[in-house]
Amino acid sequence: MSLARVNWREVFARFGLLMALVALVVILSLLSDRFLTPSNVVNVLRQISINAIIACGMTVVIIGRGIDLSVGSLLALTGVVGAGLAVGGLPAGLAVLVAMALGTALGTFNGLFVAYAGIAPFIVTLAGLTIFRGAALAYTDGRPISGLPPLFMTLGYGTFLGLPVPIWIMLAFLLVTHVILRFTALGRAIYAIGGNEEAARLSGIPVRRVQVFTFAFSGLAAALAAMVLTGRLNSAQPSAGVMFELDAIAAVVVGGTSLFGGRGGVFGTLVGALIIGVINNGMNLLNVPSFYQQIVKGGVILAALLIERLVATRRT
Amino acid sequence: MSLLQMTGVDKRFGQVAALTGVDFTLEAGEVHALVGENGAGKSTLMKILAGVQPPDAGSMTLAGRPVRFHGVDEAQAHGVVMVYQELALVPSLSVAENLFLGRLPRVVGYRDLYARARGPLAQVELDLDPAGEVASLGIGERQLLEIARALAREGRILVLDEPTAALSASESERLFAIIEKVKASGVAMVYISHRLEEVFRIADRVTVLRDGRLVGTRVVADTTADEIVQLMVGKAVRRYQRAPRTKGEALGTFEAAGPGLEPLSITLEAGEIVGLAGVIGSGRERILPTLFGLAGTASWAGDPVRSPRDAIREGIVLVPSDRKQQGLVMELTVQENVSLATLSRLQRFGFMDARREREQTRTWIERLSLRPPEPRKPARELSGGNQQKVVVAKSLATEPTVLLLDEPTRGVDVGARTELYDVIDGLSRRGLGLLLSSSDTEELIGLSDRILVFRGGRVATELRPPFDYEEVVAHVTGARQLA
Repeated sequence: MSLARVNWREVFARFGLLMALVALVVILSLLSDRFLTPSNVVNVLRQISINAIIACGMTVVIIGRGIDLSVGSLLALTGVVGAGLAVGGLPAGLAVLVAMALGTALGTFNGLFVAYAGIAPFIVTLAGLTIFRGAALAYTDGRPISGLPPLFMTLGYGTFLGLPVPIWIMLAFLLVTHVILRFTALGRAIYAIGGNEEAARLSGIPVRRVQVFTFAFSGLAAALAAMVLTGRLNSAQPSAGVMFELDAIAAVVVGGTSLFGGRGGVFGTLVGALIIGVINNGMNLLNVPSFYQQIVKGGVILAALLIERLVATRRT
Repeated sequence: MSLLQMTGVDKRFGQVAALTGVDFTLEAGEVHALVGENGAGKSTLMKILAGVQPPDAGSMTLAGRPVRFHGVDEAQAHGVVMVYQELALVPSLSVAENLFLGRLPRVVGYRDLYARARGPLAQVELDLDPAGEVASLGIGERQLLEIARALAREGRILVLDEPTAALSASESERLFAIIEKVKASGVAMVYISHRLEEVFRIADRVTVLRDGRLVGTRVVADTTADEIVQLMVGKAVRRYQRAPRTKGEALGTFEAAGPGLEPLSITLEAGEIVGLAGVIGSGRERILPTLFGLAGTASWAGDPVRSPRDAIREGIVLVPSDRKQQGLVMELTVQENVSLATLSRLQRFGFMDARREREQTRTWIERLSLRPPEPRKPARELSGGNQQKVVVAKSLATEPTVLLLDEPTRGVDVGARTELYDVIDGLSRRGLGLLLSSSDTEELIGLSDRILVFRGGRVATELRPPFDYEEVVAHVTGARQLA
């Protein structure tokens, strides 16, 4: 591509998302002088951290042509179990690890049904959504768990090198997910299965095992998010995380990952989560009533997908 | 005056002439067989007749009146109905709903609909509950139901495209009886088939197409199977013939059985190419998927092959017939596709070894002269022949001992075809054993060291060189059994 003849469609397809984010930032910084301040930027990043962590897992699942609706409930269940164990006397660090192991196990449970029983991911994780929520409510008898050891406080409110811990956790998890997707054989297998499951199977890729992994990873992500959220709230709520699955899916698809699988990545998901986060934050600063905020958020998701659709159809 | 007259029909697809100056006539109440090798133009001619595609040139008269169809519905309105070999029924709907699909009244009165269904069903002697689901019907019943549907549309000309391909012997018998009956009512039928015994059994006349030209129409009673085969084959232009090879050591033996496939065993030598021939439904199209662990039971050198993973571990790889559905991941790049079957070899502690991956891809791009030689190009942007090379590269990267090739040149243009033949020949010279399943006789003759002809789910004949084109076609179509 010579400099003189820039293929704008290509540029747009590749950097359109970032351009949209930059445009949003510029507009909001003109509308509100409180928007582009260091403290508000950190604020936005911290606000999106939980969604971005969940969305990392969701990205992996969706690239493999699945969907995970159970993450919000799974977050609640692992949150209350981790908190319950810690309050019950288990060392806090161990409690956190057990909660993350539980999240991975529950994700595996989803994955086994999808891969080996051949039930559609939508249905399996819809069942997971109610089962995990019910389990969380049963475990706590519907009451929040508080009086947590200080480790949770650190997860939610600590800082490291001047940045809040949730942001570090988000960045670390983004990096881990990116490395898995881009630099491992497993990641390649996930793209292949999402792009053409039959071809992947005929190439000798252990399709089912890889599918189970994607759901297990999503479970781990949700459990990690649960630890951060529990720290932020300084208590574990069995009702936490309602509709979180939709925010995560929104970040993934706004970030350009195809719901049909095989395409996308975690960088786009971060930008997607940022776009949604920036809009939320901006509307708060501009005192837009929350009812209208929901309408705008939905509109942005539609617009993002419509644009992606237009670019995609032009390409083929 | 003929019921149908097609005159001077031409059709091109890009550079390829699919039909050239074809004159075809059909009389009321006749069964007219249309035969020819794959790519001869049978389906194209019938698609033009049924309004699926417009001709580039030529005219058509129906009962003396000139007609021109702009779409299937117009053809149907004139009584021309296609009965597809890939059954076009909706399994979840009832028998009656399928019969009248597309012509259902806006408000469906079921009692009336079921009553109206009885007529067409009786015509094909199907004793079915009109309210029953099509999903519960056998394939033979479905085929008859499609004919009933065509009759319900007041079809005067039915086009039957290989109707027995998926039918058992008894189901075929039943179909022939119905065809006789429908014919007696004055309906004309075009019968496309690769099986000459059927042609001689039920057709009144037979027309042979070769390379898009009509090379002859004969009254069945006045001709022989040998003559028809000669017309189909013509003076075969041998476009490719690989050099003879020297005998190799035995590599191993395949044992296989499965649905539609009687137990069989094939022993393969190093450097040997075994051609697999047979019409659709002969079992030939099932053998490679079975050997690759996708259906039935199979073993290689005594080890069971239950999955593609097992097969690849045994050193067996399949280049599947449908590269879009089974071969490539279109979203991924050339390099990513080439690596797909060798991920476990290209990794180190789970991480892709980028350098080895690049080297492997470069090697195969050069060895198969892939164009353009760009590893980062998405697979979807390549031509058909080059896409096929990517699938071959992916398979060969596993360093197999046995390569299963399923219709390797389907949808590949002529130039790329010869290149692929050279690749296949080169592989045999490196000591691989190859099974080549193909519906292209020329390809089989040009490459094979021996040809196994399938009929009725088993190996009916084994042919050895020198191959006689006519003889191969005669065995595949069953003409040899008629003589």
